[in-house]
Amino acid sequence: MLNQGHPDDERLSALAAGDIEATDDATLRAHVTSCDRCADAVRELGVLRAALADLPDVAPHRPLRLLPPVEADAPSAADRLGLWARRLFAPALTAGAALAMVGVIGTAAPSLGGMASQGADSAPSERTAAADSSVTQELAAPFASGDTAGDGGGEGATTFGVEDEAAGDDFARDATDADAGLAERSPWPMVLFAGVALMVGAALLRWILVPRAG
Amino acid sequence: MAEAPQTTPAGRTPPLPDEAAVIVRAAAGDRMAFTQLMEHYQSASYGLAWRILGDPDQAADATQDAFIHAYRAIGGYRGGIFRSWLLRITANASYDILRRAQRRPAGPLPDPEEGAAELPDAGAVNPLEEATKSELYRHLERALRLLPHDQRIAVVLCDVYGMDYNEVATMTESALGTVKSRIHRGRLRLRELMAEHKELFIR
Repeated sequence: MLNQGHPDDERLSALAAGDIEATDDATLRAHVTSCDRCADAVRELGVLRAALADLPDVAPHRPLRLLPPVEADAPSAADRLGLWARRLFAPALTAGAALAMVGVIGTAAPSLGGMASQGADSAPSERTAAADSSVTQELAAPFASGDTAGDGGGEGATTFGVEDEAAGDDFARDATDADAGLAERSPWPMVLFAGVALMVGAALLRWILVPRAG
Repeated sequence: MAEAPQTTPAGRTPPLPDEAAVIVRAAAGDRMAFTQLMEHYQSASYGLAWRILGDPDQAADATQDAFIHAYRAIGGYRGGIFRSWLLRITANASYDILRRAQRRPAGPLPDPEEGAAELPDAGAVNPLEEATKSELYRHLERALRLLPHDQRIAVVLCDVYGMDYNEVATMTESALGTVKSRIHRGRLRLRELMAEHKELFIR
């Protein structure tokens, strides 16, 4: 408490601040009135406190937003929805884009595959060519048979033509079946659509739910 | 116990002329009235945040947080000195930022006179201040920044902003005795730091 006969400096600070525990301490007050060192300390601490209480306000170094955004009005449900919309926006957009990409590739793949295999897988083209020639032959057949009545070669040619026509029909049917199967089974356009829908939906939700600063 | 003076010295924002009416309107949800109050007191709020945090950007963040808290709380404002009400909110917001940042160095802030000085120009806040006073403020701000962290915050809240010991104890989550001791030791250290500028105190 006492330091070379002087009160502890913290007691002097308390006295300078007018703390009741210090001002009510008669011994302390008596010492300070009779001791220049302690009287100086109390006076200086008092002046210091006055100067501290006088420190001016400080202008912000950058402009502050004086009014909180509107969502501060209703921090509950709308806020949470907005938060979720904001959180889910990027993942949803990414997922949508990925899905759309897969859809595009999937949709484009069969035609790309067809083009690529046109040279290698030439069997259908040959069959088509054969069918075409059979039709020509068939059309030519009546004349041929008329011209060469009783001619076994003409009959043979007709038979050959009919057989070939049947083969051509088979191919055409095959091709139609394949097209129909492709249209029925291909999920790719749907995937593409779902991806785009997901992206649009995410953007729309974000636009609606995330409050804009204002 | 609580002996801090409730002064409104020059250099500090005085109340708005029609403050009571503006507060009533703001409390009723008038956003323009609220804006008017915050615009008027932003330097008071920012000054406190800056003196607690020591960093201009953190101080701006704390002030913004305080405005949001104030906006939500003003509906329940029950009178008293509005400036003190807002400063209490600001002090809490500033202390929250300190806590969040886990940034509680035991030592003083970097001396602004070493390296890039970031002390706000007190003269710019109140261009009519006498040169001596500006000089005193400058040295005092610098001395405050040289105090250990806990002492600085306690002295700022108590002696600069007039909060009582109990308020400071609650705000800083410290024991009353600890707070008093910090304030006394902070003041004594300030007195030492200001010893070479005694002439500035003579007004």
